[in-house]
Amino acid sequence: MKKKSKILGGAGETVLLTGNEAVARGCLEAGMAVGAGYPGTPASTIMEKLGEVANELGFWAEFSVNEAVAFEVAAGSSLAGVRSLMSTKMLGVNLIADALTVISVTGVRGGLVIITADDPQQFSSQNAEDTRFFGMLAKVPVLEPGDGQEAKDMMKYAFELSEELELPVFFRITPRICHSSFAVELGEIRKPKRDGKFIRDPKRFVTISTYSRPRQPILHEKIARAKKIFNTNTWNRIYDHQNGKVFEKGSVYNTFGVIASGLTYPYVEEVLEATKINARVMKLATTYPLPEDYMVDFMSDLDQVLIIEENDGVTELQSRALAQRKRLNVRIMGKDDGLIPLSGELNPDIVGAAFEKLFGVKFQEDLTEPYLEAQELVSQRVPSLCAGCPHRSSFYALREALRRKGKGGAIMGDRGCYNQGAYEPLEGMDTCICMGASIAMASGLSHSGTKEPVLSVIGDGTFYHAGIPSLLNAVHNRSNIVSLIFDNSITAMTGHQLNPGSGVNLMGQHTGFANLKKIVEACGVEHVHVINAFDVEKLVETVMEEIDHDGVSVIISRAPCALVVERNIRKKKLKMHSAVVELDKCVGCKICMKKIGCPAFSWSNDPKPHLEILSHCNGCGLCVEMCPFGAISIPDRPDGVLGISIKKEVTK
Amino acid sequence: MNVILCGVGGNGVVLTTRIIAEAALRDGIKVRVGEVHGLAMRGGTVVSHLRLGSDAKGVLVPLRKADILLAFEPLEALRQMRFLKRGAKVILNNQTYVGVDAHLGLSKYPEVCDILEKIEAAQDIVDVPASRLAIESGSVIMTNVVMLGCLSASKELPISRDSLIDAIKSRVPPLMIDSNIKAFELGEKAFQDWEKNVVCQA
Ligand SMILES: Cc1ncc(C[n+]2csc(CCOP(=O)(O)OP(=O)(O)O)c2C)c(N)n1
Ligand code: SF4
Repeated sequence: MKKKSKILGGAGETVLLTGNEAVARGCLEAGMAVGAGYPGTPASTIMEKLGEVANELGFWAEFSVNEAVAFEVAAGSSLAGVRSLMSTKMLGVNLIADALTVISVTGVRGGLVIITADDPQQFSSQNAEDTRFFGMLAKVPVLEPGDGQEAKDMMKYAFELSEELELPVFFRITPRICHSSFAVELGEIRKPKRDGKFIRDPKRFVTISTYSRPRQPILHEKIARAKKIFNTNTWNRIYDHQNGKVFEKGSVYNTFGVIASGLTYPYVEEVLEATKINARVMKLATTYPLPEDYMVDFMSDLDQVLIIEENDGVTELQSRALAQRKRLNVRIMGKDDGLIPLSGELNPDIVGAAFEKLFGVKFQEDLTEPYLEAQELVSQRVPSLCAGCPHRSSFYALREALRRKGKGGAIMGDRGCYNQGAYEPLEGMDTCICMGASIAMASGLSHSGTKEPVLSVIGDGTFYHAGIPSLLNAVHNRSNIVSLIFDNSITAMTGHQLNPGSGVNLMGQHTGFANLKKIVEACGVEHVHVINAFDVEKLVETVMEEIDHDGVSVIISRAPCALVVERNIRKKKLKMHSAVVELDKCVGCKICMKKIGCPAFSWSNDPKPHLEILSHCNGCGLCVEMCPFGAISIPDRPDGVLGISIKKEVTK
Repeated sequence: MNVILCGVGGNGVVLTTRIIAEAALRDGIKVRVGEVHGLAMRGGTVVSHLRLGSDAKGVLVPLRKADILLAFEPLEALRQMRFLKRGAKVILNNQTYVGVDAHLGLSKYPEVCDILEKIEAAQDIVDVPASRLAIESGSVIMTNVVMLGCLSASKELPISRDSLIDAIKSRVPPLMIDSNIKAFELGEKAFQDWEKNVVCQA
């Protein structure tokens, strides 16, 4: 029996939901008809949760091939008048900017909400950009929930607001909302209204400049209207804190103010309660455009205001401008004054430190002697690819090929699980910039006059997302590169989402397969190889050969993600064949470790220094080849061939 | 009350936190949870902050404000010690996970006795062979349930045993319920044995 999805609880129930689940539930309560997204931590599970219930409730949910596409899908259904969602991590907003800055001009019909998960602490992102600037750029309102309950309720509101303004709306969250769990009281699920109908209105939707130019003032008027709405809606709230207690606004006198943006309000609450500092606090949920009258009213009674926000000082910037324009006699403080750090997420201790500096109080407990000593002993773990990961063997082969060539060489990398292969001992990548950058950067490098071999590495998911245009470009512009596609047939890093190569979509429908090899060939690449990722010798030889070829070569190194294989082994109750070490053959040289550093390796000095293999070894067999003394073997492996990939029964 | 749970990916830290949080909700206790988990890969540091009752404000526990640490791995316990009040209860699974990075010299895994000594200097530590007991009750996967049993027996949490058991039952496949209960009981017994031991030594 399939377990009932947690986001389907009955109205009135209070259940424990993650922020992402609460957001998904909010979409159901809004009667969303179409949801499109692209995986990206920490937002991925929103679309996954929606996908689990889409058929049952009758809405459409998809992981699109990239964020630009996802946004355009959602925009298309919005034009048909139905409520539509686009979900992404903040980096995906960079990709949608082109369409977004135009759709804001045309306006939308059905509510169109864009979830953007920012990542100030960079738990899983290449940068810490602040998507509120995209709100300002495109003139799209930004809402920020403060907890799980708000994440659900405000989601519903976001659709309503979008329809009221006929504008897309950003719904900005962070990992501390997405991955935290809250007790959430559920409302009524609304049946999705999926009755799209497109009504022609070329003067609005065909943005030739003669049509589009007159719409600019309309957009500015919409933002002016949003300010008015935000002045009076209940998401922004003001409280007075005195002696560690909370009062209704105005019931006690305060001259010091705090504006706490998004989820920072409880941090402020905790600090004020502990330090007994008196303050008037605004919990700000509409961060663009600011609720100007409401803020002026708030600030005009105060001498000083401390602004607390994550990422950039976006509220600070706008508040200073507002105070200047309204000639308010208030000192605004925040990041520009060094009170709130410019980088990293906030937490109660960091907020507390700002109050310590301002008021000379004490919030944060000192780490005294035993704690400091403990800290000194702590070391960071170095992440690694999973045991049995096919990327390990591909990287090993790449480096080995360059070593044998003896000519140095650069490996332009991309974004995916393979990033873990950049660490020692594999050191398989020299760059990682953004999804899809590997091939084009390799092209550029190859035109730079370098004498060294130029290689690139990209995963199948990332290749579909943004790699194809670069490959076309490399062929068209005669780059001299060897481009590897690590094809594990899944988008692993973000939680194993299906992709165009999987043959199944988020709705569970069987679809056409993208044929990777044919795509590459169709781009005009003549040297194309498909090689089992665990066939190290063949990979090494092919890479060496292709380095000598002048032009674009593509090597598809293929084997399934080890975690998928393990899952299937468990599901099908098959035996996992782990490697074993023969004690008398192992000389304790650690060559295996130094070559491939598999996390299933351990070491023992009893009775003599030797390799130990942990029980989570899934028998990929790479280490068997690494040992010069034949000390490692995999007993009764079904077919004696290389790698888990060949065990057909587990890969289907 | 503030509880920190920690371990490495694959230990079940996130699941265990949710079980406690759900049990708290059953008992009508206010609850909030903040988590940090890595990406798809295993073996990385995992930590969650569980806040109960009047502490259930923001999702993050301030430094030196946690009452309990449920640690699935010694080095991870040491890493989170900065969040603990002096004298906070630490329930520790003594099974280490020394990554290949440490064997390669890329990082350093301290001696276990040093780790214990540092924690003991400020905390009230209960160390249990939870992984071994889980294997005894059927599979190492149930290590987290052994830990939960131990935590429950310590009576540090304001949450009832029944609610914890119900929350476990709602999270595991029907066929696994019996072995999970057994794991829970082994955890309870481990705590009681430890208590007796301490009394004897005293
Ligand atoms: C623009 C953008 N969108 C999403 C992400 C999140 N993300 C990181 S890696 C990745 C996909 C990796 O898939 P693949 O290339 O197949 O590699 P695998 O992890 O399977 O090895 C995604 C979606 C991102 N970093 N940037
Ligand atoms: S999740 Fe899959 S692709 Fe990612 S490191 Fe593990 S085995 Fe490799």
